[in-house]
Amino acid sequence: MTTADEIVLHVKDLYVSFYTYEGVVKALDGVIMFLRRGDTMGLVGETGCGKSVTAKAILGLVEAPGRIEGGKVIFFDKDAETQEITELDLAQLTSEEMLEIRGNKISIVFQDPATYPNPVFRIGDQIAEVIELHQDLSLDVLYMKIAKLELALSETNSDVNRAEIESKIAYYRQQMEDPPEPDKKSIKEAAKLKAIEMLRMVRMPAPEQVANQYPHELSGGMRQRALIAMSLACNPSILICDEATTALDVTVQAQVLKLLNQLKTEIGTSIIVITHDMGVVAETCEWVNVMYAGTSVESCATERLFTKPLHPYTAGLLKAVPKLHEDRERLPQIRGSVPNLISPPTGCRFHPRCDYATEICIETKPILEELEPRHWAACHHPLWTSGGKKNE
Amino acid sequence: MRLRDFIIRRIILAIPVVFGVLTITWFLSYIVGDPLAMYITERTPDAAIPGIIHARGLDQPLVVQYFLYLNSLFHGDWGVSTTTGADQPVLTVLAAKFPATIELSIFAMIFAIALGIPLGIISATKKDKAADHITRIFALSGVSMPIFWFGLMLKYLLFFQFSQWGLPHLPGGDRYNYRAYTWHPTTGFLLVDSLVFDHNPGLFIDAIFHLIMPGFCLGYITLAIITRMMRSSMLEVIKEDYITLAKSKGLTERVVIYKHALRNALIPTVTVIGLAFGGLITGAVLTETIFNWPGLGRWATNSILNSDIAAINGFTLLVAFIFVTANFIVDMVYGVLDPRIRFG
Repeated sequence: MTTADEIVLHVKDLYVSFYTYEGVVKALDGVIMFLRRGDTMGLVGETGCGKSVTAKAILGLVEAPGRIEGGKVIFFDKDAETQEITELDLAQLTSEEMLEIRGNKISIVFQDPATYPNPVFRIGDQIAEVIELHQDLSLDVLYMKIAKLELALSETNSDVNRAEIESKIAYYRQQMEDPPEPDKKSIKEAAKLKAIEMLRMVRMPAPEQVANQYPHELSGGMRQRALIAMSLACNPSILICDEATTALDVTVQAQVLKLLNQLKTEIGTSIIVITHDMGVVAETCEWVNVMYAGTSVESCATERLFTKPLHPYTAGLLKAVPKLHEDRERLPQIRGSVPNLISPPTGCRFHPRCDYATEICIETKPILEELEPRHWAACHHPLWTSGGKKNE
Repeated sequence: MRLRDFIIRRIILAIPVVFGVLTITWFLSYIVGDPLAMYITERTPDAAIPGIIHARGLDQPLVVQYFLYLNSLFHGDWGVSTTTGADQPVLTVLAAKFPATIELSIFAMIFAIALGIPLGIISATKKDKAADHITRIFALSGVSMPIFWFGLMLKYLLFFQFSQWGLPHLPGGDRYNYRAYTWHPTTGFLLVDSLVFDHNPGLFIDAIFHLIMPGFCLGYITLAIITRMMRSSMLEVIKEDYITLAKSKGLTERVVIYKHALRNALIPTVTVIGLAFGGLITGAVLTETIFNWPGLGRWATNSILNSDIAAINGFTLLVAFIFVTANFIVDMVYGVLDPRIRFG
């Protein structure tokens, strides 16, 4: 694997179970993945394969009856000024320590822009809330005060006022070195200004106006942009997009994807894109992790995944993507259905649906190995290598 | 739509409701009894009756009589009530008794809201834990105990037994201690009068002590309803996506619950509070009887028993007016809580 300096998040053997009345649902069964700094990584798989649970586990948002049973979520926190890297195991942090990470270092954009913003608060206030919570705004408050005074200076005519304002500006400038703790009201004001700035950054038309509007007054695409602004407000190291474009129509989806890619270079965030849409993966991601029934099955660069998948499940997924140049009555599908995670299949969880499965697949669980350079897969009979043979 | 337009629209919408109630009660009382009964009593001399019939237009057709009734209503002539013993204009009786009931109801309501909402939140956030079970038992006993029994038990314990044991005890009835204080009614609201007009803080405190037991007794059922309502709407709200979003921002549990969830969960609860307030006024009868409270409830019950038509009409109209006002306030609070309603 790549060196620690390049990696920002490393999920190691993550196990999450949900204790329900019907039994223990083993939602995540040894998930392994890593995210390189500045990369966009796609997390793909069928509905219910544990993509969202992985995201929630990273953020420490797995709620009762769910529980993280084991594994590490190592976050390499790079200090913006000193460039020093601290290693944190998010699975071990207390809930108070997690509050510092959530929304600040790692943030998430959820699937449905219709239900995720709080309907009773203004968009601007919802964004300002997260800024106020995580950021030191004392400098911003000073800048705001100076900007206001400069505006007054340009409008005033009397010399007496002018001198008074100038002395005030000088006073605030002096404080720049060691900004004093601002009062609550000016913090609120500065946070709101910053929220408007964030809305402008996500290309929101008329951000000043939108900041004072309520979620129901915006369209789906605008709401999703507002949510993205909310998540990016604290310049997070990692942004998780949990099906962030699924609920949007295709044109808006394209806009949002483009926006995410632009913002990534602007503020240097690493992105995890959770999706079941192979098109989104192809368009945005440099690296892909394929999940199946709570396990990681394949991990490689996007281009390689589309040209030379190793795992039969990935190959099946790719076959099921409709192609423009083909004229088919019926799309190929992976036979069978998603296994019940209360009593998952033994060995390789994919074996009942796999065309290549043998005895060993039923007995032992394959581990994620680097089968080819920079290409990991968890399979006893990977395609393209020795001995992938179809069972009849 | 701006807030001002919203308020004006609601006021305009409230007028037909009051008007409808007024019309229905008048026609109903016309069917049930003789409209003449509104204006005469046992003490009216026989010779005066034809004059009253003519003056009131009771020899006119029904529709004309209806408009004459409306006319006299708007001129402050609501008929004569006999229930208090002497013949008194209905409006005078209402003005005298209404403040006592309203004061009691508001006190009961404050108590129900101030306790019910936090209890509801606690039982939702501590679902299926000890706190939830205790609150549930507390709330369910509120709705299960009949007011007359509960009121008597309260009075027996906190007034009688406590005084027997020589402990400080709450007063057993009345609005204030007649022997210790004098009150010069100005508005009829004892708490307001004692502080603002009489400058008598002793009377104010005494009045508060007199309100505790009847207020608690009257408000207990409402408290129970608010608690249960708050719990279920809170449980509903914490499952919402925006709560997950709030948590993902790194907000503490407290902020998530008391800022993001509470405001949304209050919306259905406020409806219940509005309806319950009207219920408090009409339901005050038992409490007023037990605690010797000189309010509307007892007077209204007696006038029903006496077929005192003018009193019944007047009381119904007042209650309708209170219901409309309470719902108007609820609508306003809705608008404040939920921007979707304000602008919708």
